[in-house]
Amino acid sequence: MKELQQRVKDQGIDDLEVRPYLCFGACQEGPNVVLYPEKSWYAGVKKGDLDDIMGHLAGGPNVTRLDTIDGSLKELIYQLLDTGVF
Amino acid sequence: MQGILFPRGVVEGRENLQAYRARGGYEALAQALKGFSPGQILQEIADSGLRGRGGAGFPTGKKWAFTAESTETPHYMVLNGGEDEPGSKKDRLLMENLPHLVLEGLILASYAVKASKAYLYINAIYEEATRSMSDALAEAKAAGYWGEKINAGGDFSLEILLSPAPANYVAGEDTAALEVIEGKQPLPRQKPPFPATAGLFGKPTAVNNVETLANVAPIIAHGAKWYRSFGTAESPGTMIFSMNEEVHRPGVYELPFGTPLRYLIEDCGGGVKSGNRIKAIQPGGPSSAYLPGEKIDIPLDHNSVRQAGSAIGCGVVHPITTESCIVEETLRIAEFFSVESCGQCPACRMETNMLAAMLKKVQQGQGGQPILDQFAKVIAFNKGKGFCNLVNMPGPPIESALRLFRADFDSHLANGRCPQG
Repeated sequence: MKELQQRVKDQGIDDLEVRPYLCFGACQEGPNVVLYPEKSWYAGVKKGDLDDIMGHLAGGPNVTRLDTIDGSLKELIYQLLDTGVF
Repeated sequence: MQGILFPRGVVEGRENLQAYRARGGYEALAQALKGFSPGQILQEIADSGLRGRGGAGFPTGKKWAFTAESTETPHYMVLNGGEDEPGSKKDRLLMENLPHLVLEGLILASYAVKASKAYLYINAIYEEATRSMSDALAEAKAAGYWGEKINAGGDFSLEILLSPAPANYVAGEDTAALEVIEGKQPLPRQKPPFPATAGLFGKPTAVNNVETLANVAPIIAHGAKWYRSFGTAESPGTMIFSMNEEVHRPGVYELPFGTPLRYLIEDCGGGVKSGNRIKAIQPGGPSSAYLPGEKIDIPLDHNSVRQAGSAIGCGVVHPITTESCIVEETLRIAEFFSVESCGQCPACRMETNMLAAMLKKVQQGQGGQPILDQFAKVIAFNKGKGFCNLVNMPGPPIESALRLFRADFDSHLANGRCPQG
């Protein structure tokens, strides 16, 4: 997470906050990176994946190889995030 | 009122071996070891309809049969005294005050399931209960009630060992208990296989709650028919109910199944201290659904409480009066399960943490209707997705609270505080 935070800072992205969150129930497939409100969920993220994730944040394509989380879990968590209180 | 466990239905101090024998103690064991086969003892328990008192209410005879009939050897017996349910003190009191009743039941159970080794797994913070059971073990050993070749045929030997249980909720789960006895962390195992056929060290193991085993000697002494003269057809016998500080006379009360809930709260407990109207009752500990106060006249037995919409659990009865807020009550329960989840199953970790966090937001007046809509979804999504039942425990109180006491939630969401202020 520190690496991701540093890259965001280095690239001067000021409308993005990188922070730990509540347990989303997918720790066995972690580390997980959830981009919200965009609603992209990347699982099993390694340092080597950060270039692609940063590329996505800069407007590049989705990193489909990391999009492995069950759709129903994603939907549940996105709905919780949509309540706006977390 | 006459009880099956407590001779007069109430706790009367520690009973030593001499006092226990003076009222017929260990006669059931002597009869069993002299003239009955393990199968006959098991059948008597099955006929009695005895059900587990740890919370699930599973038929004890059926549970024992799985272990007794297994061809794998050796067989083990475990007394589960890892009680850590908030408000429950029945197992501690039984071990402190009636250690020989518990021990005789354990030895009879070991005989029935053909166990050669038994463990007394007792919550480590129960120092007095541990001392009482340890002293009873020594007294009973000296009297020849357990040890080498104790039956008439000389083919039944039993070794009994103490094993302290970590003082946390999950450590009381049957398979977590087995892990601890094997020297590992108190983490529940995936099931199946169930302990009855693959338990301690992978061998057939009967694990029974303290109160369950305390019922065994009276059943063998007096017979299944006598036992069924107490309680109801589907919930025979008595149960020990725990009442806490919300009533005038907190304590444990042994009552026949089918006794009206009102009798327990008003006649035994002396009524609620606040004197206010009872608006909700949790009849079976923190994982049981709330009942509306109007259900106070339901009979306390498995079927009746289930039909009313809740569960009898381990008998911790919690009346809640009008000055209390259900949101606050439910938040405390959710936080308890969040803390007590062992964390090994992702669904349980997510659910318990998420529900507590969501209730905290509601308590603070945040989230509105959208967050209320999410509770049922989070509970349904995670139902059954864990090695033990803890993942299913926060659901009944939260869902019943939302259904029955919506005004309390609306007040928090509108004003950030309880309807009572």
